[in-house]
Amino acid sequence: MGEVIVITSGKGGVGKTTTTANIGTGLAALGYKVVLVDTDIGLRNLDVVLGLENRIVYDIVDVTHGNCRLKQALIKDKRFEGLHLLPAAQTKDKTAVTPDQIRELCAQLKKEFDYVVIDCPAGIEQGFKNAIAGAEKAIVVTTPEVSAVRDADRIIGLLEAAELHSPKLIVNRLRPLMVKRGDMMSIDDIIDILAIDLLGVVPEDEMIVITTNKGEPAVLDNNSRAGQAYRNMARRITGEDVPLMDLEAETGFMNKLKKLIGFK
Amino acid sequence: MKKTKSSKGKKLFIKKDVNGAMDPDTNPEFVETEQETGVVEETKKVKQKSKKSNEQPTAGESEEFLSGKPVPREDDNKAGETGPEMQRKTDTKVLENRGPWQETFADENTILIQRTVRSGQSIRFDGNVVVMGDVNPGSEIVASGNIVVMGALRGVVHAGALGDERATVAAFKLQPTQLRIANHITRAPDGDYLTPEYPEIARIKEGVVVIEVYQMGQDRQTKIG
Amino acid sequence: MLDFLLRVFGKDNSSSKNVAKERLRLVLVHDRADMSPQLIEDLKEDLIKVISNYMEIDENALEVNLDSSNNTVALVANIPVLRMKRTSKRKEKIG
Repeated sequence: MGEVIVITSGKGGVGKTTTTANIGTGLAALGYKVVLVDTDIGLRNLDVVLGLENRIVYDIVDVTHGNCRLKQALIKDKRFEGLHLLPAAQTKDKTAVTPDQIRELCAQLKKEFDYVVIDCPAGIEQGFKNAIAGAEKAIVVTTPEVSAVRDADRIIGLLEAAELHSPKLIVNRLRPLMVKRGDMMSIDDIIDILAIDLLGVVPEDEMIVITTNKGEPAVLDNNSRAGQAYRNMARRITGEDVPLMDLEAETGFMNKLKKLIGFK
Repeated sequence: MKKTKSSKGKKLFIKKDVNGAMDPDTNPEFVETEQETGVVEETKKVKQKSKKSNEQPTAGESEEFLSGKPVPREDDNKAGETGPEMQRKTDTKVLENRGPWQETFADENTILIQRTVRSGQSIRFDGNVVVMGDVNPGSEIVASGNIVVMGALRGVVHAGALGDERATVAAFKLQPTQLRIANHITRAPDGDYLTPEYPEIARIKEGVVVIEVYQMGQDRQTKIG
Repeated sequence: MLDFLLRVFGKDNSSSKNVAKERLRLVLVHDRADMSPQLIEDLKEDLIKVISNYMEIDENALEVNLDSSNNTVALVANIPVLRMKRTSKRKEKIG
């Protein structure tokens, strides 16, 4: 029996889809059977981030409406045997599925996969309600910005109201140098406010843009700092105890210089 | 007119056929689905220009199709898979399931779309669809007949959606996310981002979806020749 | 210069991070204080219960609001008192 995890944020553009793609791929790279479910009906993107958009024949709406069987709609990833995608429909809207249908779907997927990772749409309306319906655990993604943290707080409240207790937090797009300068909220500041456990911190990384352009998750790039962060998070999800990576490392000219002259 | 091996030389892309892919019972395991890699087949690029256009079979008005043997239907099971797809609501007009393939081609029934078809939009029509504009990624056009795009075609298109294998897809820039004709489903190969320089046309030849440079008057030439 | 040094050593309270944190804290008090009408009703009832032990109040005129001004959020209750009680009900109970 697998585990159903929803990845949500409230605010849009904080990196839910990127996080879903990377954590899912990270888990698959560890050898688990993973299915990623895109519930952002009408604004699907997970397929593009994974580079699987041209393989879609059936989608989640076809499954819930009985147009096809569940297994027909699952797209196998090109890189990992164990990774699958259940794409959202693009030409429908959020009302095309109901929370009950998603709950049923998750129950079915759970039987076949070790991890069912659900990409939640932005907002707190029907799409959000659909996405969390079948979930057993929740991951809240935020960025170190007032707006994103505020929305994360709202989402945590809604998750708790839906009996999804103790969600885990991912702080995305952190810029260690700005934190050092005092121009960005630190992890401690955010944890202090939201009062939930941290799953991981993803430093701002240009590689994310590049890998997304190519349709390859950054988690597979050994040189990417964000990729490293996602790899760590995947391992933490499986229950491994992985220390937070040193975000200060390799940031700043002085550090690089010190490293270069063997000072560090 | 028999097609020979020499017709290979005409192909710009060779798209492999995915017959049987729509049949769920061919998938032995839960995870073995037709959406997986290799089922929605990649196209292969063979950059060779066609010279013997008179040997090409044609769609629509071609004498060959009017007088010759009817194109064999896919087996019932596969045809059945197309059914539910067609029963979805349409933007423009609800497609009636026309039942078995008919000799008459839906060429008297054509709609003209004079705008860009954008992501999330869906055009479904029982007949031919002509778009004067682009068809963007994330949109879909489903027609029981031919699809012509006077612009860049980047979305998902399905011509001959009720099972007509003679249907064609033509576009000034043919770069579809996915291209389907009747029961054949194809996609561009991974990592192939070449922009086509000429208008191209896709159709089924010898049970395979083939993309060629679109040549004006080509069909008529064939007819005469 | 001093400002710069303070900034370098992270002691500057007006750094944008602290501004952000303060604003966020406030905005969250608001968000979280956005109590459902049911909760407000429950609070009213409880308040009435407690206060009635000590004084007679006009229950219908009772107003309970979360008021925010000057960077703080306060619970403002306007409770018209009709009559004070001589002895506390609680004592009576205990007695």
